[in-house]
Amino acid sequence: MRSYQTNQIIEQLKFNNGLTWAYSILWLILSIELQPFSFSLPLLLIGAVNLGFSFIHQLLLYRVRQSAFRADRKTAVERSLAALMIFGIVTGNLFTFISGIMAFKKSLSTGLIYSIYMVLVDMMIIAVTSLNLFKPFVTNYYLVGLSVLIITLVYHSLILAFGQKIYSWNPGVQRIALGLLLLSGLTGNLLVFLVAASFYADNQPYSKGKRQTSIREKLTRNHAALLGLLFISFLLTLALTSTFTFSYSFAVQNDYANILQNPSIQYPFGTDNFGRDVFTRIVYGSQISLSVGVLATAIPLLIGGALGAISGFYGRQTDNIIMRLLDILYAIPGLLLAITIVAAFGASTTNLIIALSLGYIPSYARTMRANVLQVTNLEYIDAARALGQNNKQIILKHVIPNAMAPMIVRSTLTIGTAVIATSSLSYLGLGVEAHVPEWGNILRIGSQYLETYPYLAIYPGLAIILLVLSFNFLGDGIRDATDPRLN
Amino acid sequence: MRRKLLPFLTIAASLSLAACDVQTEDEANSIPEDSESVETTEKISLELLGSAADETDLNIVRDQLNRNGFDVTLNTQPDYASYRSLRDAGNYDLSIASWTTVTGNPDYAVRSLFTSNGDNSIIDDEEVDALINEAALQTPDEYTETYDELEHELVDQEAYIVPLYNSLKAQAFNHDLLDPDTIRLSKSRAFAWEPVSYNDESMNDSETLMLTQTMSDLTSLDPIKGNDGSINQLNTNMYVRLVNLTDDDEVVSDGSLSYSHAIAEGNSDYYFVLRDDINFAAVEDMEAVDTGDMVSGSDVIYSLNRAKNPDAVPDHRTYSLHEHIDTVSLLSDLSELEETQLTDGSGSVLEALEAELDAPISSVVESADDVNNEAGNYQVIKLTTTEPFPQVLNYLAHQSAGIVSQEQVESINTYDIDNFDITTDVPYGDQRAVTEGDTYDNHLYASGPYIMIQKNDYEATFQKNPAYMNGTENEANIANVTVRFIGDEDSALSALRSEEIDLMYGLGETKYEVVEAEENLTLQSRQSNGVKYLMINVDSDRDVAQSADLRKSILYSINQDEISAAYDGLKLKAYTTVTPLVDTGNELIPDQSKVEEFYQNYEDSAE
Repeated sequence: MRSYQTNQIIEQLKFNNGLTWAYSILWLILSIELQPFSFSLPLLLIGAVNLGFSFIHQLLLYRVRQSAFRADRKTAVERSLAALMIFGIVTGNLFTFISGIMAFKKSLSTGLIYSIYMVLVDMMIIAVTSLNLFKPFVTNYYLVGLSVLIITLVYHSLILAFGQKIYSWNPGVQRIALGLLLLSGLTGNLLVFLVAASFYADNQPYSKGKRQTSIREKLTRNHAALLGLLFISFLLTLALTSTFTFSYSFAVQNDYANILQNPSIQYPFGTDNFGRDVFTRIVYGSQISLSVGVLATAIPLLIGGALGAISGFYGRQTDNIIMRLLDILYAIPGLLLAITIVAAFGASTTNLIIALSLGYIPSYARTMRANVLQVTNLEYIDAARALGQNNKQIILKHVIPNAMAPMIVRSTLTIGTAVIATSSLSYLGLGVEAHVPEWGNILRIGSQYLETYPYLAIYPGLAIILLVLSFNFLGDGIRDATDPRLN
Repeated sequence: MRRKLLPFLTIAASLSLAACDVQTEDEANSIPEDSESVETTEKISLELLGSAADETDLNIVRDQLNRNGFDVTLNTQPDYASYRSLRDAGNYDLSIASWTTVTGNPDYAVRSLFTSNGDNSIIDDEEVDALINEAALQTPDEYTETYDELEHELVDQEAYIVPLYNSLKAQAFNHDLLDPDTIRLSKSRAFAWEPVSYNDESMNDSETLMLTQTMSDLTSLDPIKGNDGSINQLNTNMYVRLVNLTDDDEVVSDGSLSYSHAIAEGNSDYYFVLRDDINFAAVEDMEAVDTGDMVSGSDVIYSLNRAKNPDAVPDHRTYSLHEHIDTVSLLSDLSELEETQLTDGSGSVLEALEAELDAPISSVVESADDVNNEAGNYQVIKLTTTEPFPQVLNYLAHQSAGIVSQEQVESINTYDIDNFDITTDVPYGDQRAVTEGDTYDNHLYASGPYIMIQKNDYEATFQKNPAYMNGTENEANIANVTVRFIGDEDSALSALRSEEIDLMYGLGETKYEVVEAEENLTLQSRQSNGVKYLMINVDSDRDVAQSADLRKSILYSINQDEISAAYDGLKLKAYTTVTPLVDTGNELIPDQSKVEEFYQNYEDSAE
């Protein structure tokens, strides 16, 4: 019988094994140069090194699957293989990095798992931000911004290395450490809050040996959801820090001397037909895509949720009036409604958010109403009523909290749809103004050069795909974590 | 555990060391004290209007004005109609505007745009009016100077417009199928179908020539009732004219209804010798048939009189092009030709006209029945203009001067013109008459090389006119032509590459590369008469209308080289809409110091 921790390591390694091989092969494919047929030596080298790491990964996976393997009593060989794999991060292989740390550590807590991803976010941000060093100039706050990021990375690495021992520190140090950790969350790294919450919870008396039942804890078992969370945190951090570390002028100012340049170290994703740096445009585009996506989900979540809760709780006439009105809204196709609103009131970010939000309200209201109908029939509502609580208290304290889980799942999944809708509208010339860096706008220019300069469409397309996939993975993860049948 | 920190510390240290060396944005943008460049000041806010199709131009203009300190608000309308309604309502400071001189003469390029009573004009300037009227009466040798003066007045004196660029015109075709020597690309006139031939001439009768155009909603197949991209190409090939334009915009009789033409002394009288080998074609049972009616002098008189008369038909869209025509008549007296001298004094009109004829003119006849060119009996049209106006010939070469059948048009247009109701009356040339379905009742009489058989939303089919200059080099080669309506340029190009269509007319600059990479395609391009410019809202109480200094400050912010760079370097410089037609040598040179100087003047005068 394997221990829980051993299983965790095996599951993680199994999940990462395919990915690390795929990642290595991707580099090898990228190194092929057509016309004339040759290989790019640096890329080939990275691919080869990654293949090496993948081989070690495979080897370790083989060893941990043997029945002799015990997570708490690893052999020196296993430990050194794991340690070696951590260095895969140098070639950008985050899969061996994750597996390496998981296999290396003596014990695995929820906080530690989140810490790995937290540090990964920092590393990715610094790597991406550092690319600005190859530009003719950087922003005025660049050095300060980069220093803050590096300090954050160092601090987060310390937490990753020693955070599990937090219960042994004295209370003052604990409070300062957690406070500093929360402060570093201001960069936008969402995982910081999960790490802090995990360590705080672990540090409570009687927490040892408790069954892991919260969403936060159960989410760590879903590796795809964690990767989604990693990318979302990465983008959010990038969106927040880019204001200081990326020069907006590269994204919007035309540079007629550098039109349609192929990708290079100075222009990692090339330049578009106005000489603007596509890389900087995509980075700034994340600000709009994320904010529109989140707002266009939050607004219908609140409005639709409230309407659904009221109509589900009060029933009868109230229910009929609200739901029939919403049915009218539901009858209009969402994207068509958005196009009409934007065409009538003009293209701007505010109008876009309103246009997208309106279409989502009915579906949220329906979900909420169904949940509320189910919850109101349960005994604890009767009990609350018997105890003399009024309707307002019952709705706010008992009904809504118990009906929220499906809404959260739904909203995570909707953000992805909203991002796609934003990009679709911009692609049609109906979203934000054409010169504003937004993923749909960038993609639209790319579509005109699909044959001659395909990178103009590939990179913004990839960004959209990755963000939507990440939200879908995360949504699936949360759904599984909230489903009592999968406990 | 400490050792684990080492890589991070190393990276941190090396990055910080590297970072100390980089230049920040402020450092990069600060101007060294010893340099001569001018400091950019903050300027007023401007509203720039355009449609989504002008996206590239809007972005560049916005960018260039921004860099010169102006704060630009973009107003991008999704389609041309909504853009046009905002422009007509005057809701803009600057607006992207474009103009193509389809007649190939400079008067058409300026009259409707810049005169105080022009139908597209918001400018009211006596000096501009005077210059345009003066140039209209001059011959090409004389008018260069006048148009030069006009350009200075329009651009660097008053800055009513800000020129952006002059475009190329391009087409691509499949040279595996079509004979490249038979494909014409003209500067002004629409694509001519009749010379086109397949490489394998035996295919001309069996294979259908596949062409394309963007618009499927045809304004009208009556030549005088439309002047836009939906019918330009179609009407040009369905109706013959008195004269034609060559590829370089010279007026000639080749391939037209006249054997030859001449301008008489005084530049007011024009003579055309008509040919007798063109009959009207009609459609019977979906086949083009010869009606046996010759395209005669009386049809010419009828067609030109209705072309110049605004009340000839409801929705007359082209009368302003023909307002200089005074009278059109058939000559009855041969001696008039002998006695009249040519405008250049090189001989009599008769000599000039006969130089092109196989059989000399023995008599001029009025009745179509008496015409016999082989025997020397010709019909001669005399056209007089309201004032000496040599450019009238260009207007006669325009598709709106196409010759229609008097008999047929009068038999179809039986409605009462004052109570015309488009829902019940079907006037001549209405697309409902040729659209497949219940309303189909093809009443077209074509005088040109082709006639439309029918159309639907996807394509229009044509057949060759069986009695059009048979046996001459102008007889149409290919028997069947189909015009596919493909609204989107990218789709049309895909259709060309997949051999669904044989030739694509009108290709954007950024697609040249794609066409050149295809082995079976040939790209043809040349300078066009199309000019893009910024229209400044001078007919309003906005600041741009009040201050010429402010307008000039905007003018010198624009850099045409940079615009061209964004179009693969394929846009030509322009100064006004006259640039492609008259070589005045004027050029707009961006100048930052002038931008600041004129802006300072504007601010001083505003105080």
